[in-house]
Amino acid sequence: MTIVNILFYLFSAVLIGSAIGVITARNPVHAALFLVFSFFNSAVLWLLLEAEFLAIVLVLVYVGAVMVLFLFVVMMLDINLVQMRQGFTKYAPIGLVVAAIVVAEIGSVVWVKELGLTNIGDVAPLPAGYSNTKALGQLLYSDYIYPFELAAVILLVAIVAAIILTMRKRTGLKPQDIAAQVAVRAKDRVRIVKMKAEGKES
Amino acid sequence: MITLPSVLLLSGILFSLSVAGIFLNRKNVIILLMCIELMLLAVNFNFIAFARQLGDIDGQVFVFFILTVAAAESAIGLAILVVLFRERRSINVSELDSMKG
Amino acid sequence: MATDITSIADLAPAGAEIFVLAATCVVLLADVFWGERQRWLTYTLSLLTLAGAAVITLTHGAPGRELAFSGMFVSDPMGDVLKVFTYGAVAVSFIYSRDYLTRRGLAKGEFYVLALFAMLGIMVMITAGSLLTVYLGVELLSLSLYALVAFDRDSGIAAESAMKYFVLGAIASGALLYGISMVYGVTGSLRLDEIAVGVSEVGASQLGLVFGLAFIVVGVAFKFGAVPFHMWLPDVYHGAPTPVTLFIGSAPKIASFALAIRVLAEGLGGMVGGWQDMLVVLAALSMGLGNVVAISQTNLKRMLAYSTISHVGFILLGFVAGTATGYQAAMYYTLTYVIMALGGFGMILLLSRDGFESDRLEDFKGLAKKSPWFALVMLMLMFSMAGVPPFVGFWAKIGVIGAVVDKGYTWLAGIAVFFSVIGAFYYLRVIKLMYFDEPTDVGAIEAGGSMRFVLSANGLAVLALGVFPSVLLDLCIRVLQ
Repeated sequence: MTIVNILFYLFSAVLIGSAIGVITARNPVHAALFLVFSFFNSAVLWLLLEAEFLAIVLVLVYVGAVMVLFLFVVMMLDINLVQMRQGFTKYAPIGLVVAAIVVAEIGSVVWVKELGLTNIGDVAPLPAGYSNTKALGQLLYSDYIYPFELAAVILLVAIVAAIILTMRKRTGLKPQDIAAQVAVRAKDRVRIVKMKAEGKES
Repeated sequence: MITLPSVLLLSGILFSLSVAGIFLNRKNVIILLMCIELMLLAVNFNFIAFARQLGDIDGQVFVFFILTVAAAESAIGLAILVVLFRERRSINVSELDSMKG
Repeated sequence: MATDITSIADLAPAGAEIFVLAATCVVLLADVFWGERQRWLTYTLSLLTLAGAAVITLTHGAPGRELAFSGMFVSDPMGDVLKVFTYGAVAVSFIYSRDYLTRRGLAKGEFYVLALFAMLGIMVMITAGSLLTVYLGVELLSLSLYALVAFDRDSGIAAESAMKYFVLGAIASGALLYGISMVYGVTGSLRLDEIAVGVSEVGASQLGLVFGLAFIVVGVAFKFGAVPFHMWLPDVYHGAPTPVTLFIGSAPKIASFALAIRVLAEGLGGMVGGWQDMLVVLAALSMGLGNVVAISQTNLKRMLAYSTISHVGFILLGFVAGTATGYQAAMYYTLTYVIMALGGFGMILLLSRDGFESDRLEDFKGLAKKSPWFALVMLMLMFSMAGVPPFVGFWAKIGVIGAVVDKGYTWLAGIAVFFSVIGAFYYLRVIKLMYFDEPTDVGAIEAGGSMRFVLSANGLAVLALGVFPSVLLDLCIRVLQ
């Protein structure tokens, strides 16, 4: 039992615990925070598995952006929590049975028969000085240029879709029109009227 | 050393938990979306474990793309959720039954 | 093993994809700046995009199988044929949708932009040479479709069906990915050609592969809408605005076919015995449930959704055969089905007016008195879907049933014939309503000239291809050896 093993089992146990938290929490804010916790634990496990770049990205992108978006939406929607607390429905037993079956199947396949993989063995750690980020970056901009561009298109679709679905032009707002403000000239606003000075009435 | 079967088992447990969560949560769509994120996390574990086992970084590149797509996916999912909430004032799964047949 | 892209010629195989992407960005920008005032601009530019892509694909077609981008991109004659049909299907659905969108105040440029991006996703799936590009293509298509379904923001049922589609679609993507990860772990590669080699090395009965295959088949079945993974399909067809239903019902079926042929036939072709058994169940259930439940529908969009499910069952029959003949028959079925679906949903759009959806069966009552010509077009489409000779649907059904009989699945062919007969009932009911019932709706058809013309051509194509079935069939046979 090396220190790596101990850390692996420790963080795995915490990860499974927080995943159970995600699916059983009644309050969506709690569920989101449990999910954040799961991502942090996963990031540690990915570091142990020598995927350093992805571990950092998971924290930055997932915890930093996606989960914040989730929390933002949870807060924005005025969800009726009383109704949400009514508990699990009649589907709960089915869910548990399905989960148990899937765990049993995956467990038996993976653990008992070891997938029939012939190449299972101990993997030597990568040499010192190896840069995971560099290796990924080199592949991403050469062999993977086509998928990389496709990922960019998918993000563009997400932008277009999010805007078309949620942006509404409401009436009654008084937005600033900066272009119009800048384009204003003095003569549009101020009219100089020549008139004789009014003398004192005597 | 961390062995491949132990990571695959962990990923399997996560995957089944997320499937169970989808069945359990019939009240709240937003938790369903979180279960989907959990499912993708389980898949990512598989890829990272295999990439390490095979000494082949392609699996890690795949995870990079899954993360990207999942971010886009949740943005669209949440946008649809917002539209739904505006129309219905509710995100209860069991109330999504206006179409029958 | 890094490949360098040194000249523009290295990008040439993906010329059509690059053109569509660039042109779609132009459409997006043009719409942002001028779309509000010039409504015709986005529409015209979108059609020009499709025409340009068709020119590129037709003039720079692949003579044989070519790999590009480190094997992640495959261009072959089959892909070119599928792509040209996709452009055609998308163009026809744009023409049909235009009047409807304008009348409902939905004629925003985003409809065309998202549809073009969805089409790019279809093209990526058609040319996928690696599981990574398969996945990205699937997601590009699906994400665009989720947004399109929810596109009419004031419609409660559209938002509801989009949510259902999204959740189930995301679960299916998760299953597909889990399967892909298993296949990657066992074969050590993401490229479909290397996976095929890997499968033959480790053997088709290898546990990890079988496990991964099961998840992949679930993902593929979902994208097809095969029973028991069909739950999204009726609700999405029903809830989405009719132009979106038309779009989802046509071109993406080509993508599902491409997904199945690339992943199951090319990548995992060595495990044909494994997926055959699963597809037999899916095909039999789809044909049965689709045809039986369609009978009890009163909404035409919903009825056509269940009819789609049954047609998916027939397409899967071609894959069940697992032979070149079977794939050719499945391709022929897919292409002809797309033509029929375009016509069927086009008829709903033709009859719709402001405030009148025309998507209930009773809206078709007495159509023969109101418009004899379009009643005849609908009659041809319904006969073709039911598989009545001499329409093209008949030859498509003969093709797939012949392919499974050759492989000894006579009982499955029997099921297929039995349910085709049951299916004929609800198609004939539409014809009965049109010809023997009194009209309940007195409004005239408001559709424009281009739509009338294309829809008429669409109906005649079903007849012409049925009278000369060899034109399209020979093409399928030539590109899929």
